[in-house]
Amino acid sequence: MTEILYAVAVAPFKDMVGSPAFLGEVLIGGIFAGLMYSLVALGFVLIFKASGVFNFAQGVMVLFAALTLVGLLERGVPVVAALVLTTVVMVALAFAIERVVLRPLVNQEHIILFMATIGLNFFLEGFGEMVWGANVKKLDIGLPDKSFMVAGMQVNQLELSAAVTAAVLVAVLAVFFQRTRIGRALRAVADDHEAALSIGIPLKTIWIVVWSVAGLVAIVAGIMWGAKSGVQFSLSLIALKSLPVLILGGFTSIPGAIVGGLIIGVGEKLGEVYWGPLVGGAIENWFAYVVALVFLLFRPQGLFGEKIIERV
Amino acid sequence: MSQPEAPAPLLRVENVSVRFGALLALNRVSLEIQRGEICAIIGPNGAGKTTLLNAISGFYHPYEGRIVFDGTDRTNLSPPDVAALGIARTFQNVALFKGMSVLDNIMTGRLLKMRGSFLLEALYWGPARRQELEHRAFVERIIDFLEIQAIRKTAAGRLPYGLQKRVELARALAAEPTLLLLDEPMAGMNVEEKEDMCRFVLDVNQEFGTTIALIEHDMGVVMDISDRVAVLDYGIKIAEGPPEQVRKDQTVLDAYLGVSHD
Repeated sequence: MTEILYAVAVAPFKDMVGSPAFLGEVLIGGIFAGLMYSLVALGFVLIFKASGVFNFAQGVMVLFAALTLVGLLERGVPVVAALVLTTVVMVALAFAIERVVLRPLVNQEHIILFMATIGLNFFLEGFGEMVWGANVKKLDIGLPDKSFMVAGMQVNQLELSAAVTAAVLVAVLAVFFQRTRIGRALRAVADDHEAALSIGIPLKTIWIVVWSVAGLVAIVAGIMWGAKSGVQFSLSLIALKSLPVLILGGFTSIPGAIVGGLIIGVGEKLGEVYWGPLVGGAIENWFAYVVALVFLLFRPQGLFGEKIIERV
Repeated sequence: MSQPEAPAPLLRVENVSVRFGALLALNRVSLEIQRGEICAIIGPNGAGKTTLLNAISGFYHPYEGRIVFDGTDRTNLSPPDVAALGIARTFQNVALFKGMSVLDNIMTGRLLKMRGSFLLEALYWGPARRQELEHRAFVERIIDFLEIQAIRKTAAGRLPYGLQKRVELARALAAEPTLLLLDEPMAGMNVEEKEDMCRFVLDVNQEFGTTIALIEHDMGVVMDISDRVAVLDYGIKIAEGPPEQVRKDQTVLDAYLGVSHD
């Protein structure tokens, strides 16, 4: 009994203290993974905030953006042109989604819009495969990918640039949502369609804007993820990890998406490395979902989410 | 030489019908709202008052008839386009952005007055920032006017009903409308809140010169503040005129009290 307690509650921490450089590397790995989750979660939050739609297809949008970019690069398009074209494709996608999916379903129940995004999910996956093929591809847009040593720890430049990118994105989006005309319009639409219409906010423009922004975030996530582990269809599955991130951070909070992602990313890496051997590994696969369950029980609105008060 | 014409009405509703399936919610209703007046629309429940307001503000499109605002036909415009013409409204069951602060709610009313580039706004820099501050100043004047300084940071959803109605009025005023449509602005209020609201409606009308059309059930309020009253019953306009005259109208009394059939 004491041995088990020791192995669970003492030994892992002794290991951590024993080799701080290794701990540092695990943490950095966790932060990188977490930021990847955050970037996908960010796309979810944007669309949920602005339209109340839970966009199941966000993960596939990341995949689709990465596939498009890789496909263009493979055909010899220069990096900058490929990035611009991918952006154009994602914005065009936003227009198409508004026209074909959202507009016919305006004023329907949220669950129906959710179902529509599941359909969108499968469509985009199939469409991407049809256009760009199903092979694993390497994405290289020339981001530095060398490692260097800081205080005995290996730090990867790619991970560093991902962290900086995510931080900048969040800062810009937070100010944009809180302080600006379009940001306020986005929040207004999320809150009450009818009232938003009555003060002159055109719903379709707002939807196009928000799906475009989510598309841009998907490009960034796709680049980072693709550069790290190649562009492949399992990308859309990894993206499902952003669901627990959302539950943790709160569905309507941009900072919540980031903090939630970091907690999940770091937590699962620490669990895997230090506690994994005790249960035969694979903690990384379920850690996020267990944390999400606990949160659903005790704090369903998440860390930063808005508490929804319904008056009856 | 032509005769001096009567001033053109601000809003002219001409023979408007609105149909929901087999139900004719409005049946060839005509109504003129003159510049600068307060016009009350009254009638029993289900008479079509809110439907009329929804048709004017573009939420419903008439099945026949025309709606002319300020000389231009706007029968089939969408709600945002109607708002852009200078028509603001409030809703019967309060449609505020519940998660947003009172200040943000009222700021949304300024959206149509704001212009800017997406990029500058994302950076909250230069003109975007200046514009934000200018509009903020205007909104503060409305907040002072409606005496809601103390709650400006509160989330709208947490406020008591009477104050929510006041915030909704503030948001509508922030758009500097030419025509203000109020759907039961005093419903569910106590006497004191009603008196406040009456005062605000009259002040808005007098100080800003805003033309107001309102739906109200409280006859005391209607008689006190309106210049003219239109009465609807079963989708048909059954009377129109100054309050004293409408109050004595036999058709109106019948509609409200029922007719004895013996």
